[in-house]
Amino acid sequence: MPDLDALKAEAKRLLDEGVVEMIIGFKAGDTPLHPQPAFFKTVEEIDRLVYNALCQNNLATYLTRFPKTQKIGMLVRGCENRSVNALVIEGQHPRDGLYLIGVPCEGIIDWRKIIEKTGEEVISVFEQSDNTVLVEAKSGYFTLEKDTLLHESCARCIHPNPISADIVIGELLPEGDPTLAREQVAAFADLSLQERHAWFRQEAERCIRCYACREACPMCYCEECFVDHVSPRWTESGTTPAGMQGWHIVRAFHQTGRCTSCGACERACPMDIKMTYLTEKLNQDMRQKYNFEAGMDTKTPPPFSTITLDDKSRFIV
Amino acid sequence: MNLILKKDDLNHQLNAWRQDYEVYAPQSLQNYTHFLPLQDGFELAFDVKAHNTRIPPKALFLPTSEALLKFTRFGGYEQIPSETSPRLIFGIRPCDAHAMTMLDTVFEQERYTDPHWQARRDATLLVGLGCHEPCQTGFCTTVGSGPFNHAGLDAILTDLGDIFLVETLTEKGEGLFSQLETATEEQSAQASVLQQAAAASMPIAFETEGLKEKLDQNFDNPYWEEISRSCLSCGVCTFLCPTCFCFDIVDEAQRGERVRNWDTCMFRTYSLEASGHNPRPSRVERTRQRLSHKYTYWVDQINQIGCTGCGRCVRYCPVGLDIRAMLRKAHQLPSEVAHV
Ligand code: SF4
Ligand code: SF4
Ligand code: SF4
Ligand code: SF4
Ligand code: SF4
Repeated sequence: MPDLDALKAEAKRLLDEGVVEMIIGFKAGDTPLHPQPAFFKTVEEIDRLVYNALCQNNLATYLTRFPKTQKIGMLVRGCENRSVNALVIEGQHPRDGLYLIGVPCEGIIDWRKIIEKTGEEVISVFEQSDNTVLVEAKSGYFTLEKDTLLHESCARCIHPNPISADIVIGELLPEGDPTLAREQVAAFADLSLQERHAWFRQEAERCIRCYACREACPMCYCEECFVDHVSPRWTESGTTPAGMQGWHIVRAFHQTGRCTSCGACERACPMDIKMTYLTEKLNQDMRQKYNFEAGMDTKTPPPFSTITLDDKSRFIV
Repeated sequence: MNLILKKDDLNHQLNAWRQDYEVYAPQSLQNYTHFLPLQDGFELAFDVKAHNTRIPPKALFLPTSEALLKFTRFGGYEQIPSETSPRLIFGIRPCDAHAMTMLDTVFEQERYTDPHWQARRDATLLVGLGCHEPCQTGFCTTVGSGPFNHAGLDAILTDLGDIFLVETLTEKGEGLFSQLETATEEQSAQASVLQQAAAASMPIAFETEGLKEKLDQNFDNPYWEEISRSCLSCGVCTFLCPTCFCFDIVDEAQRGERVRNWDTCMFRTYSLEASGHNPRPSRVERTRQRLSHKYTYWVDQINQIGCTGCGRCVRYCPVGLDIRAMLRKAHQLPSEVAHV
């Protein structure tokens, strides 16, 4: 758990000294499982800042809403820092207009895993120092191992540390084990064609096309998403198998070399749909074929956004 | 009339209904519950985890997508007939059944009746299950309903341990339970105590008195910007809402089908006009539309709040926005706006 007082002190300093005009962080939510993203503009407001393992959103998704001239401070974990970098590369905000307060991240708790064990009526959640979580629910008290509650993206996270923050609050953590990320992809990729299709269909079928996954993703900032384009139409509009599968495939493809494995898309989905197995496969391909990981610096553009004159395919140049 | 259904006999009863109806009841799907048709060897899931199914039962009447008519390239079209096979929805919660009655006022107006909606409604019976342990995010009693509200139901069940007390509320509902024995007076009294206690256990989430006026009078207040700041403009709160009914009609030219898909005022494209102008360009206006529709426009139209307090939007908003908190805050708005 990060040192909240140190975070607040730094946030206050930034606002007080006018380093930034606003800080994007979290505040306590109206329900115990859901802290809310928040935008702090004054030193007094910072008293309401909270930061814990239930803060499930990738705050970088808000970055593109603000003018590029605005000086913005943001609390960033490993994946958020990389998302910010990827956005900087794509020209969405100048890096010198940002002040990143980095927090080494021990992983986000998936509230769904809590209610699986406690029922939906949760009254309070308290992270304890021995890596357990005390949950008070209507059905009683539960002491749960934090490791069993982590969101899957976090359980297999490779880069928990903010890599290019302006300040880091807290001790750096060891890097994650890349074999875990490979296992997830292998679980899907090793299946037969029929089994893969069945898996894909079973997930895509439940989609209601609410686009929470898209809105939660920092890299989905297109002013007009391909699914919203009406003339011509790129996909079927409805929740038919073709419509839903088209949506899932193209959304994932548009993340190639851009996705930072944050898992915010999956956490936002109201239908508990797994979708990172697709983006993780693409991430793995990017690593293997191009030795590239999204957002590891603010200079290297994703392979699919670059054109070189010696490109093997001559269709562009 | 009050009857007794033994829990041990429930599956037998459901199977008996399956002779005449397609019976839908909450069953587990992934990590949530969903109204699915009962198949042989079914397992009900209404007493585990969630009170309400993730997707409200409105989807059984207004599917996420449905084809309305088929057309060909050379002119001519064929209307797709409405479904009329008899259905029974078992275990619907009172807030969701209440929502059905509100949606009827939208889809079954004198001049504009939606044939698909009407056919499905006419062919479907609703057997409710009251909430003897109301959920925390729900606030049905705040918005004029309650955990044992009868609106929209053909019968309602009260869980009394080993038995359900069945109150039949319509003739059709009586027909469903004609085999059962009558409840004793003690059993009826026990149920009524439990029902009242359940309602009493629910705190009032916000004051509804004067709320409509506050929202009406503060159309341009910065309040709307404040409450919508972190909103993602996604479809979660409205798609999962039992009273939201907005749809979009699209011609899927390749397939030659005119389809109707769920739509929501929270989407950017919802009010986008062909000219490119968007009268609700940001989350501020969209959030204002959602809250105002439920808490002022419905009130203007049918004199009822258009929210049944099911709590789904509160539970599943990906950024934790809570409509109850938004409405509590609305009470701090000024009552009279100064006119210049
Ligand atoms: S696709 Fe999902 S995992 Fe990848 S960056 Fe977007 S939200 Fe994160
Ligand atoms: S959040 Fe889930 S249900 Fe919504 S569009 Fe994405 S995958 Fe579909
Ligand atoms: S579910 Fe939450 S984030 Fe999505 S549109 Fe509704 S209020 Fe906004
Ligand atoms: S607005 Fe929210 S609480 Fe009210 S009926 Fe809709 S989903 Fe339920
Ligand atoms: S709140 Fe929005 S989506 Fe729901 S019925 Fe009203 S306008 Fe439609």
